[in-house]
Amino acid sequence: MSMPSFTKTALVGAILMGFALAASAATVPAGVKLHDKQEMTRNNGSEPETLDPALAEGVPANNIIRDLFEGLTATNGAGTTVPGVAESWKQTNDTTWVFTLRKNAKWSNGDAVTAEDFIYGIRRFVDPKTASQYASTYGIFIANGKEVVEGKVPPTELGIKALDKYTLEIKTPYPVSFIPELMSNLQLGPVHKATIEKFGKEWTKPGNIVGNGAFTLADWQVNSKIVLAKSAQYWDAKNVQLTKFTYLPVEDGNNDVKLFESGENDFVYQLPPGTYEKYKAQYPKEIHNSPMLGLRYYSYQTTDPLLKDVRVRKALSMVIDRNILAEKVTADGQVPAYSVIVGGTKGANVTTYDWASWPMDKRVAEAKKLLADAGVAAGTKVKFSYNTSEYHKKMAIFAASEWKTKLGLDTEMEAMEFKVLIKNRNDKNFQIARNGWIADYNDATSFIALVQCNNDQNNHNYCNPKAEALVEQGNKTKDPAKRAELLTQAVKINMEDYPILPLLQYTVPRLIKSYVGGYTATNSMDRYRGKEFYIIKH
Amino acid sequence: MWNYSFRRLLATLPTLLAVITVCYLLLHLTPGGPFDSERKVSAVVLANLQAKYHLDQPLWKQYLYYLNDLLHGDLGASFRYEDWTVNQLVSKALPISALIGGGSIVIALIIGVFLGIVAALRQNSKIDYLVMLMGNLGHALPTFVIGPILVLIFAIWLKWFPAGGWDNFAPRYIVLPMALLVFLNVATIGRVMRGSMIEVLHSNFIRTARAKGLPMRTIITRHALKPALLPVVSLIGPMAISSITTAIITESIFSIPGLGKLISNGAANRDYTLVLGLVVLVTVVTVLFNLLVDLAYALLDPNIRY
Repeated sequence: MSMPSFTKTALVGAILMGFALAASAATVPAGVKLHDKQEMTRNNGSEPETLDPALAEGVPANNIIRDLFEGLTATNGAGTTVPGVAESWKQTNDTTWVFTLRKNAKWSNGDAVTAEDFIYGIRRFVDPKTASQYASTYGIFIANGKEVVEGKVPPTELGIKALDKYTLEIKTPYPVSFIPELMSNLQLGPVHKATIEKFGKEWTKPGNIVGNGAFTLADWQVNSKIVLAKSAQYWDAKNVQLTKFTYLPVEDGNNDVKLFESGENDFVYQLPPGTYEKYKAQYPKEIHNSPMLGLRYYSYQTTDPLLKDVRVRKALSMVIDRNILAEKVTADGQVPAYSVIVGGTKGANVTTYDWASWPMDKRVAEAKKLLADAGVAAGTKVKFSYNTSEYHKKMAIFAASEWKTKLGLDTEMEAMEFKVLIKNRNDKNFQIARNGWIADYNDATSFIALVQCNNDQNNHNYCNPKAEALVEQGNKTKDPAKRAELLTQAVKINMEDYPILPLLQYTVPRLIKSYVGGYTATNSMDRYRGKEFYIIKH
Repeated sequence: MWNYSFRRLLATLPTLLAVITVCYLLLHLTPGGPFDSERKVSAVVLANLQAKYHLDQPLWKQYLYYLNDLLHGDLGASFRYEDWTVNQLVSKALPISALIGGGSIVIALIIGVFLGIVAALRQNSKIDYLVMLMGNLGHALPTFVIGPILVLIFAIWLKWFPAGGWDNFAPRYIVLPMALLVFLNVATIGRVMRGSMIEVLHSNFIRTARAKGLPMRTIITRHALKPALLPVVSLIGPMAISSITTAIITESIFSIPGLGKLISNGAANRDYTLVLGLVVLVTVVTVLFNLLVDLAYALLDPNIRY
């Protein structure tokens, strides 16, 4: 880039500068009296696969890691991106971000957190030797990241460097407007090099692990509990209320509720399917149900002899009554969905189909016409694959019933174990399959990946170069409004091709003890840190 | 006896090898691998992961790697619990399952034998009917029915014990799951002991002892107990082994981090090494228990010699 151009961009970047926002912690409202014992127990859904940030994949692991470590930025209780170790950041040109680290950030052993710790952590994460399953998801947003992940260049070539001990520069391959938000993911966070080198694979065990988060690992009883203790070294320790934060790995939703009822658990991971209304009536002060950035959908195999005709895919989508599905079938407060992007996602607008507002009779008539035009006769069979779960079975039976009663199509239901379904989906060995997606970061591209050409997450053998070009163009655009417009157009094109059948936007129905403070209904990523919570006197 | 024991243990090696081989093949033939997840892993990362766990090698080579590790006492790394080795996981879960499963069998044995004897001595009395009723209930009601009932009464209504969970062998977490297993085992042992004792009490040598005017207590403890215990001893082996499979349900009901939990999670996650490690463990335990039962037979029945 030439100097004048750089100066101009830098000026624009300065306007877009991230300001040193007030650090967010447990905000105890005036008048609220805190309980003497600041201890909380939260069910986490299952045992984490690891506490190594680079290797963490599932929600349970990331929940705990978010308490043990802190990235450049973080997500506060309300779901807003706030400063983490970085007290401020700015975009100095289209593809360069500079983060200024706070000087009082410490590791739990008292060492200072420096830019080198981030460089070590991020390089380790994208290094093919680490074999992180998230490397290709997040790594590609850093210059040379894709090449490093693919083993074409060494990790030292990654576009990240320390300008000084407390200043970190990150280069991106194209303008990535959501870098501050992306950096809240702990895969892109720091790790303590000396600890990893000293303990090797044992570095995440209690007594060994050194983190820079608000809590330290006090105890880890596999499949039983993980106990965190407040870290005295954390830079914002004075605003952390909880002294002990326990994570349970209870998978069964009914057991989870029983633990809540018997007082062993303050925070239910997710209510069992179909129980939301019951518990809403039973625990009106403790029930919560917030929408999150997740989509329930069915995948179409677009190269299948029957489904390769877009008219067939459209007809199948049109006749599913999402309102009945949400209100009567799943009945846990989820929101009907008509696009790959769900409400609350940044970076593109949610598109919908014209027919979504039509009366069902009109939709059925149109769907029948589409099938007739495509030469599909009544009695034609479609094969639907889903994993053995009562929840998915209920949804599948409803869909099959809609297709049968409204279009006269028969459905062959194939129930299979979860791993088998995933294998079939990944091998593109299905006709219609149950699917779901939770966003990794709040940007439209996290969802668009599902329908992008050659994307690992695209199981549909689907590709529309026109939409692809718009996404690429959007990603190269530095104007957020223009980018959103281009991405929205791309999504609209994708959705008119019907590669997927969007059904519902996820919500998280759960019970939380009324004495737990700090939980909000606006955190669409459902990412909470222990530092946000406090126990009210009770 | 030592020679016999040694020969028995040696003879189990081919069995162990056969079990491992069959399980190894079945696990690898089951569709879906340890790295198949909602987020499809990129080809490069998948290749690295497979190389890390030798999954890029031909199956026979992987099998030899596994056997070699096994000979060195290494059950391998867990695919699901990345921070732990299978040895570490088993060493954490085994004492928990041993306490819950083994402890409940010991308690059930004491209570069941006692109740069986009392019921046999008071045949067709109220206590006999009570023991029979308990036995029938224990057989009729499955674990997943009694467990939640115990939780409802003692954890949610009375709040005497936690509804589940585990904390470093704290007694309050042990009571309910153990009570459930004791109840189920007492039902079986009590019924068998009752029937066996009634049969022994009707045998000629007991009749002779009675005719000689020996007190009932002496007849029971010196003459009847040993032969009456034989069918109960036969039960203990299978009971101990089935306690591992029962543990899958019990540990799920009470969220206990024992072997049952590891087995069910291991199978669902295609955690090959973890499942195989547990198969090895269960096979060894089965062999040992069968051997112990055989040896106990010799102690109880003078006709049996090894």
